[in-house]
Amino acid sequence: MKSLSLPTTWESMRSVWSRNFLQFRKTWLVSIFWIVLEPLFVLGALGYGLGSYVPQVHGTSYLEFFFPALLCNTTMLVAFFECTYANFTKLSHTKLYHTALYTPMMPNHLLGGEILWGASKAMFSAVGVLIIALALGAVGSAKIILALPVIFLSSCFFAMLGMLFTSLVKNYDQIIYPSSGLIVPLSLFSGTYFPLEAMPKALQVIAYLSPLTHAVSATRAIQQGQFSAMLVINIAFLILLLVGLSRITARSFERRLID
Amino acid sequence: MELAIEIRNLKKSFGGRSVVNGVTFDVPKGECFGLLGPNGAGKTTILRMLSGSTRVQEGELFMLGLSIQSSLREIKSRIGVVPQGDGLDPELTVFENLLIYSRYLGFQGLGAEDRIHELLKSVALDDRAEQLVDTLSGGLKRRLAFIRALLADPELLILDEPTAQLDPQARNWTWDFLRGERERGRTIIITTHDMTEAELLCDRVALISKGRLIDLETPKNLIEKYWGPEVIELKMNRTDIGYYSNRLRERKVEYQVFGDSILAKTTPEFTQGDLFKGFKSPLMAVRKPNLNDVFLKLTGTGLQEGESI
Repeated sequence: MKSLSLPTTWESMRSVWSRNFLQFRKTWLVSIFWIVLEPLFVLGALGYGLGSYVPQVHGTSYLEFFFPALLCNTTMLVAFFECTYANFTKLSHTKLYHTALYTPMMPNHLLGGEILWGASKAMFSAVGVLIIALALGAVGSAKIILALPVIFLSSCFFAMLGMLFTSLVKNYDQIIYPSSGLIVPLSLFSGTYFPLEAMPKALQVIAYLSPLTHAVSATRAIQQGQFSAMLVINIAFLILLLVGLSRITARSFERRLID
Repeated sequence: MELAIEIRNLKKSFGGRSVVNGVTFDVPKGECFGLLGPNGAGKTTILRMLSGSTRVQEGELFMLGLSIQSSLREIKSRIGVVPQGDGLDPELTVFENLLIYSRYLGFQGLGAEDRIHELLKSVALDDRAEQLVDTLSGGLKRRLAFIRALLADPELLILDEPTAQLDPQARNWTWDFLRGERERGRTIIITTHDMTEAELLCDRVALISKGRLIDLETPKNLIEKYWGPEVIELKMNRTDIGYYSNRLRERKVEYQVFGDSILAKTTPEFTQGDLFKGFKSPLMAVRKPNLNDVFLKLTGTGLQEGESI
């Protein structure tokens, strides 16, 4: 029974993931409400409601224009909030991270497992919303399924961003800074509810720095079958941000756990 | 003699404030070792360095023959830690807490589950396996934290104030449990400011004050060395302390003032009667000295919180 060698990085990350999955299985109903039902309500209100007053956007219906953004937006919120409020509890209140570190687990393993979990929960949401929307015929083209890897990539980024802020904040209240100051503006101004061209030029430039802009743009392109250079740029931008942020986050998280 | 822990000139400061200031000691395998000192003495910080929760700033730390700097993961796979506050997962059941932790250790499959059931049975928690941790009493939570630390079958157990906040019954259970683990050959290191616990459990105790090691001995030897077989404790009005301590000084009796009492060392030359002839009968008792008295003599402060003069 005793393991002959230390668990590998992958095994350690998987065990962190499995703890969250175990807990998720107990509370899935409450999760479904916010990760699947809530986005469907938004789809109903904006896609059908508001959308019926909006003429075509870029040659598609508003519903078709909005749906890829809804997926990217929802997964961003799920990944980010899973890695902030829930994980700040493990860092401060229950000290679960400290307990985990009494085993061969290292801070990087914890971080990797939590990011994978945050992104996985976001994917449960994306797949749930997608299945229902497909059944309702609200999606336009089923090609959007091919965009799931991009949505996963973007979810990993926002899960990591959540972990970075979790390692920085002193209390729950301070999570308001990144959520209201960063995540909400991103969700509004990343070509989600209206095309970027509707904004002044200067703001458009800023919007192109938003990772969500690139996730939405890539998802829309895949949905419409436009496999262009822009799609490559979108994906490359997301990968670059993910890699760049990983070093900063790893350092910050480790410093928070081991003084 | 094989060593479980070797500490050389260990130092740690937080924001320029020195917390551990050059501590050196060894713990041989199979010993139950106590770090004794008041709150803020630095004993928890030493323990946190042993478990890898705090980085060693200066000095050397070897555990089970391995350097903590180069072999942290291997060391962590061979020790068991019980932190203050237990660190249990309140959203999972008793069984699930152990299951997840054994995955963290790298154990998988049915063998791991058998081990969990065996441990649950050994501390009479088997009928509570499916209960949520939050529904357990403080004493049972501590039990769960103990067996979680045993999952890896560790050579060394590290416990930070194992009986803090427990009722007397749970405290006795803990002492029995730790004695049992010591008999099974595990090395144990605990911090405590409970002198009864230290005298009862520990083969040797290190007295820690202000980040320094002030003495290291068996509890019996420490008491013998600083107080001898008996002490006389005098309780009085604070205003009279000067008068009585002058009398004792004139008679060249070793004593220590502590709050509104004086502890005096008995010597063969001074029987009680001789010593107190002419004293205006303050409340007086002859008793066996304990580790608290030793600590008092060495530092001028007691071991319990708020007992400083």
